[in-house]
Amino acid sequence: MHAFAERFSTNGAAAELRRAKEILGEDDDVSDVMWGSSGGFGSLVNGVPKFAVPSVPDPTSFLRMHTDDHADPSCRIKIKHGTTTLAFRFKGGVIVAVDSRATAGSYVASGTVKKVIEINPYLLGTMAGGAADCQYWETYLGIQCRLHELRNRERISVAAASKYLSNLVYSYKGMGLSMGTMICGWDKTGPAIFYVDSDGTRLKGDLFSVGSGSTFAYGVLDQGYRWDLTDEEAQELGRRSIYAAGHRDAFSGNTINLYHVKEDGWKFIGNYDISEMHYNGPGGADGYGYDVRVQGRTSANPPPEAAAAQA
Amino acid sequence: MPDGSFSHPQQRQFNPYSDNGGTILAIAGADFTVIAGDTRQSEGYSIQTRYAPKVFRLTDRAVLAVNGFAADGNMFVKKVKQRLEWYRHAHAKDMPLRAIARLIQTMLYAQRFFPYYVYNILGGIEEDGSGAVYSFDPVGSYEREACRAAGAAQSLVQPFLDNQIYFKNQAAAPNQSHPAHLPLPDVLSIVIDSFTSATERHIEVGDGLEIYVVLAKGRSAQGLEGARGIQELSTKSDGDRVFVIRRELKKD
Amino acid sequence: MDVSFAITGKGYVIVAADTTAARSIVKMKTDEDKIKVLSPHLLMAYSGEPGDTVQFAEFVERNIRLYHIRNPHGLRPQSAASWIRRTLADSLRSRRPYSVNLLLGGYDTSEHAPHLYWMDYLGTMVEVPFAAHGYGAYFALGLLDRYHDPEGSLEDGLATLRRCIDEVAKRLVVAPGQYKVKVVDKDGVREIAL
Repeated sequence: MHAFAERFSTNGAAAELRRAKEILGEDDDVSDVMWGSSGGFGSLVNGVPKFAVPSVPDPTSFLRMHTDDHADPSCRIKIKHGTTTLAFRFKGGVIVAVDSRATAGSYVASGTVKKVIEINPYLLGTMAGGAADCQYWETYLGIQCRLHELRNRERISVAAASKYLSNLVYSYKGMGLSMGTMICGWDKTGPAIFYVDSDGTRLKGDLFSVGSGSTFAYGVLDQGYRWDLTDEEAQELGRRSIYAAGHRDAFSGNTINLYHVKEDGWKFIGNYDISEMHYNGPGGADGYGYDVRVQGRTSANPPPEAAAAQA
Repeated sequence: MPDGSFSHPQQRQFNPYSDNGGTILAIAGADFTVIAGDTRQSEGYSIQTRYAPKVFRLTDRAVLAVNGFAADGNMFVKKVKQRLEWYRHAHAKDMPLRAIARLIQTMLYAQRFFPYYVYNILGGIEEDGSGAVYSFDPVGSYEREACRAAGAAQSLVQPFLDNQIYFKNQAAAPNQSHPAHLPLPDVLSIVIDSFTSATERHIEVGDGLEIYVVLAKGRSAQGLEGARGIQELSTKSDGDRVFVIRRELKKD
Repeated sequence: MDVSFAITGKGYVIVAADTTAARSIVKMKTDEDKIKVLSPHLLMAYSGEPGDTVQFAEFVERNIRLYHIRNPHGLRPQSAASWIRRTLADSLRSRRPYSVNLLLGGYDTSEHAPHLYWMDYLGTMVEVPFAAHGYGAYFALGLLDRYHDPEGSLEDGLATLRRCIDEVAKRLVVAPGQYKVKVVDKDGVREIAL
């Protein structure tokens, strides 16, 4: 967190240097340290990059005015929203499942979004809210996790990694970041999931779902969840829950991405088309769809003689 | 005050953004990529110019298309080009495509609290010789895809591309499957058709069309030799090569 | 916010509604019956704007009763639903519309089949195998897509209803405490203790 303290400090060497640079008028997003060979341009090793802020009395409301599609649907910069993501812990590890739809207003901007961010071979992050916020900061988290490994000769715990992210986004609280993420992985303590959002909330838990379709996913997930699920049952539950959300929530859909975290790291299980799941299911035989599942079944119960008369 | 100048507190909104229309698109093939954009620049119902390029050669293997607010777009391309030149000076080679994509992400995200109102599509050849398209949102989230349309006529062009490139909602003939990649002449016709159709149905699209074609190293220019108005832009002929094809679009 | 569910099964419809009557942040009553018995084979759960709900439900109840008195046969569920929907739709175009959402469950004794209608205050109506109103819908619909069985026995139906109620109790911040459950089948209407 030292970099943060330094960034906002008004005295000390860093602040002096900053003031000097302001006077010299150096290009503010390219500092001279980037000329070194330690990583070249675009490297983030020198800490968090500086962010340009508009010169208005209230930069936050400026940003909201131009980007927030809830406040003003006609605003120009549409930040993509709408998602269903879930993760749960069980005896066989952690299941992470997400949909792949990105919407801008009512337009389906993409149906192939990767909402699971592979932070490193042992850590996964999910993406809900601002796509860029999640992608950028979870990539950044990956860098910091690697540095932790190099400095401490051991892998970072899921708790520590999620705390790092939580503190990071909390330092931007009120600036308009939008993320609802689950940091999932396996460390010395076993499988772990932490929910982290841009309000600064950080929760440890066994089962979370985030996004506009989360209520529908919860409905299926909670009812099917047990600690002693087999690997196959757990993967099926994750898939079915995202299907339910894709089916009932207009802002979720297209495809499902399924991951399974075990002791030796995460494994990508597969990508499943939601329409395909509706009609045919993962095996090609049992569709998840209500109409498909109950086809030919009826609630009518004519008494025997009436049934005979009808036939 | 008698003139009324101080009688009411005044509030002004700071609005540094505008939308200059136009459309861009990119399609990746097996060993080539096509990146195209129209050249009309407009604001509201007025056409500012009939020739304002939106597609730019960055290196011999990377082309960037920008759409949205033209002033931001031009500024952004300028800064990307500057960073790529510095990279050349520091490393004596061109930056690989996937690195340019990540660079664009960090550059866009640096403006997270004062965004560039720009939708970027980066196309070119990956280090393994495959064609690639990267698409970005204004604050830097990105994804590698096979094809993408952005801008004013995005919602007209993208469904057409989904159908023609990804074969969405098309069933393959019995015992046959859809090709993973289309040949260059087919892609060029799809691009031209996309823009002529978008010009017909969207008022902000038209005037001129610039189609950039990036060919992987060692690939012959087969499929391009017949093209009208083609021009080579690459600096050397033994690496990846960049061409541009210029066409007219309707001007009403 | 009211929560109501309805589920059809083999020869029956279960209608359930929470029993809370709230005003502002206060629970005024915790045993309010929000399911009207409109006829020997017809149930109606109502929710929405306080005041409108009971007024409208009683208006419907009296008119259905009147029809039964005037005519040799009562209204079938399909016809009752049609009339109620039209009443609601006409009300929407009046000076002060009723803001009432309904679940109408009935058993048609002539075709031996249960019928369930989902209706909102705008006069939108659709016949469905299961339905929900209020925030409960967000949690129950996905679940019902997964677990509902059109040929389920009454026990199966009640087990599915219990899943819905449990899920809402687990996840909804403002979850209601108790529910009243009524069933309509070939034998008529009865209340069931969960």
